[in-house]
Amino acid sequence: MPLGTLDHTPPPFFKQGLSALSKLTLLGAMAVLLMVTDNRFAMTAGIRSALVTALTPLQWLAMVPVQWGQSAGNRLQLLETAQAKAESTARALANQSARAGQVEDLTLENKRLRDLLGLRERVSAQGLAAQVLYDAADPYAHRVIIDQGGTHGVQAGSAVLDESGVLGQVTRVHPLVSEVTLLTDREQAIPVLNTRTGVRSVAYGQPGLFKHELELRFMAGNADVQEGDVLSTSGVDAVYPPGLPVAKVVSVQRQAESAFARVLCEPYAQVGSTRHVLILPPTGAQLPAAPVTAEIKHPRGRDKTRVTAKPH
Amino acid sequence: MIMPPGKHLLLPANPLFIWTSLVAAILGNMLLSMSGLGRAAWVPDLLALTLVFWNVHQPLRVGIGAAFVFGLIMDVQQTTLLGQHALAYVVLSYWAVSIHRRLLWFPVFTQTGHVLPLFALAQALVIAVRFAGGAGWPAWSSLLAPVCTAVLWPLATAVLLAPQRRPPDPDKHRPL
Repeated sequence: MPLGTLDHTPPPFFKQGLSALSKLTLLGAMAVLLMVTDNRFAMTAGIRSALVTALTPLQWLAMVPVQWGQSAGNRLQLLETAQAKAESTARALANQSARAGQVEDLTLENKRLRDLLGLRERVSAQGLAAQVLYDAADPYAHRVIIDQGGTHGVQAGSAVLDESGVLGQVTRVHPLVSEVTLLTDREQAIPVLNTRTGVRSVAYGQPGLFKHELELRFMAGNADVQEGDVLSTSGVDAVYPPGLPVAKVVSVQRQAESAFARVLCEPYAQVGSTRHVLILPPTGAQLPAAPVTAEIKHPRGRDKTRVTAKPH
Repeated sequence: MIMPPGKHLLLPANPLFIWTSLVAAILGNMLLSMSGLGRAAWVPDLLALTLVFWNVHQPLRVGIGAAFVFGLIMDVQQTTLLGQHALAYVVLSYWAVSIHRRLLWFPVFTQTGHVLPLFALAQALVIAVRFAGGAGWPAWSSLLAPVCTAVLWPLATAVLLAPQRRPPDPDKHRPL
């Protein structure tokens, strides 16, 4: 029943504004325009951040029952589960404390060796702890929302780790929250280094029906990759600090008809269920600036010579 | 006044209730996405359902412009391309407004069959936009989403029309 059957004011007969079809055309065109600007030019970040911040109270409200459910679930878990978890944590702690003792020793030794070699000290990053709020609802993408944003000092492009390995990368920063794209997202790639052979390659997200994995693309059919190889960040990308565990190779298929081997890896990070993460700013910010290249015209004006000038 | 047979005259809709129900639908969508269902593709879209409901019942209050704004909110909430849900909701809302005079003459369960193609079209639009953006095919379970949404139509009718079904206050002195 249209508006106004029992309302106090009669329905407007003539002044009904634009027709539905013209509204459809206008707003449809606007939506397409927005999609293009969002995809091609980074001009809509302001609108998005404003809307996200305006939606934040609603999000907190929606989180309340979810958190109640989680805490109720935690309380109702079986005693055996809790005991097993505590035992495994204690074991992991014992292992780690043994290693932590070695780290001091090794750091000192490493520093002396590097001094001897005259190498620059490795970049070290100051981390920022954060908590995963929820999965983004987009069924196509693998993203999570974390509770630290631009006001807490998060930078876009930062690496995100969980307790077992690299989880992903911060792709959008809003004032109060940030979006993290997980390694298993189809559009996410991470440069890795095979710790057994030292070969560098790039791992791409490979979301599957049941299991989400990473794929090492363009590995030659005879490349030295084995099941069980550990991949760590290579550090050549100026984003991820080197040496962080990323994934383990789980299957290598070499097909006669293809020049490439199909290498699938399983990420160490718990991409489905992680709660607490660490944000490391891009290492590129700590590196010295790239040398300035100035183009000098050749006197003849034919070819250009590139001259590298050292910054003073 | 010509009324569909067996229908009661309803009280006028409260605009506050309309907008509150739409905000509650956003909240419901957020809750569904946060509560472990996460990125499952079959989850019903409560906001689309509520939007179509009010487009059909109160087309002069909730129209295509509102659909556009709520679409943008959905895009931001789902972290998708800005404008993708806006486009889908604008088309959804246009269709809902154009069938609103016919739809309400049918019984509620038949209406479900009439609104199913709307949700299917909106879903197809989203999939087409994603496909154009190079996202590949979605999971098969995304075919279930429009069905899940349409199945909730009788429930939405029961809940969202409840405030208007209240009998008016009887007045002893003025019986009419």
